[in-house]
Amino acid sequence: MVRKLFVLGLDSMPPKVLYEGMDNNSFSYIKTLVEESARYLMRSCYPPITVPAWMVMFTGKTPGELGIYGFRHRKPGDFNYYIVNSKYIKQETLWSIASKKGLKVGVYGVPPTYPPKPLNGFMVTDFTTPNREKPYTFPPWLKRELERTVGPTIFDITYRSENKDKVASDLFHMLENHQRQVLYLATQKQWEVFLYVEIAVDRAHHAFWKYFDKEHPRYTEHPHYSNVIPRLYRKIDQWFEELHKKLPKDAVIVIVSDHGIKAMKGAFAINQWLIDNDYLKLKVNKDQLKPGTELKENLIDWEHTIAWAWGGYYSRVFINLKGREKKGVVELKYYEDTINQLRKDIEKIRGENGEKWKNEVYRPSELYPEVRGDPPDLMVYLDDLWWRAAGTIGWSSNYLPENDRGPDDAVHDWIGVFSIYDPEGTISSGDKGMIDITHIKDTLSEIVFS
Amino acid sequence: MADQRKIKYTTVSIPISLYERIRKLIEGTGFTSVSQFVVYVLREVISEMEEEKIRSDSISEEEKKAIIERLKRLGYI
Repeated sequence: MVRKLFVLGLDSMPPKVLYEGMDNNSFSYIKTLVEESARYLMRSCYPPITVPAWMVMFTGKTPGELGIYGFRHRKPGDFNYYIVNSKYIKQETLWSIASKKGLKVGVYGVPPTYPPKPLNGFMVTDFTTPNREKPYTFPPWLKRELERTVGPTIFDITYRSENKDKVASDLFHMLENHQRQVLYLATQKQWEVFLYVEIAVDRAHHAFWKYFDKEHPRYTEHPHYSNVIPRLYRKIDQWFEELHKKLPKDAVIVIVSDHGIKAMKGAFAINQWLIDNDYLKLKVNKDQLKPGTELKENLIDWEHTIAWAWGGYYSRVFINLKGREKKGVVELKYYEDTINQLRKDIEKIRGENGEKWKNEVYRPSELYPEVRGDPPDLMVYLDDLWWRAAGTIGWSSNYLPENDRGPDDAVHDWIGVFSIYDPEGTISSGDKGMIDITHIKDTLSEIVFS
Repeated sequence: MADQRKIKYTTVSIPISLYERIRKLIEGTGFTSVSQFVVYVLREVISEMEEEKIRSDSISEEEKKAIIERLKRLGYI
């Protein structure tokens, strides 16, 4: 008889909240488990972003091996991009392996699992699901059952909004929706392994972190907004206590995140910097553009452009390589020199007041044992992730106090959490140090399959 | 004429243990055979899946744009 394993995935949960008391005891029940758990600091992947991080965790493969470097990718020579979904995941996942071994598996909200794939058990897809009209469950008829029983599924909210009251209301509405569904599935269906990722945690962090983290450079005490994150934690805690009491007493409980979170200091206009440093040339005067202008293909003077970039939690830089890009100008023989020079220049980028930044610039082949799919030429992490990269142009400064995509309080951090509560004590409790995200699948496999 | 109206059948394999479970399950339910039950269940499931498929076949350009806008608003791209 296999012991049940329930994995509670809290997207972007950092150690300082779950392990170090920043939750102000909102996780009162969960912390009693965590205190008796094997506690790891979880080192996320490059890049520490929801897609690909959860799939890295549940396949044990690096982003390079998966060929997933974020949500969007571009085919060589094509300026436009495509968005990845579950069809791009070719490797075995924990649930596909468990299914083949005859175990019943429940998967809820793991990004990106849309469109759903068959498994021995049931699946409800994640926030990347286009809309509720799509088939978002496996088996397909589970969708109707869920909607009849607990109401229509809410996949996500819009959190980059100044209307914080609505954001908070939507957030709790979504969380409650997920919790009702997971409680129903976990108590009414057969399973040995249940993986549940709650995206509401990440959304709450992004929308309300400056009202919560007293060390945030723009920390603001607010009578309502400062309570949103603690309230969300409490709702998770109370719900989980209710669920846990309905599970078999010997069930193993894992609490894990895909990355951490920390205050966003600002966004750095990477394409403007490339323009300033003669790597990128526009056909128009950049000073005449409206702030926040998208870098479009027809804006670029390709004959005089060496590189351009995408923004996001990290920046992806592409070389205008001859023979690869439509109007490539960098000769292959100069590719290495160009990469090396650009890398040195990016590493030297400093803060607005000349303060030193900890910038990391990598070629994908330096990070991964295998580089599949459509990788960028360079992957750029600014000031240890404290600064996001803005791909838009037309700004009066390269240093933007806010994100170019709308209000956001937080950026991702490298370190998340991974704790294993084994009520039978076969896994010893205590602080276990660091574990790489690629090793979690094997650790969970040992629990499930041994 | 009679031959033209004749319904054609084929054989689908299921594990014997599953066959036996179904056989016991349908006792007293009105289903007269395992085959009748299996055909009934499959018709139910297939009609639902076909409806889903019509709604979901390929992602339209509008849906693609909506996904990209959503990911932008979420700050991922």
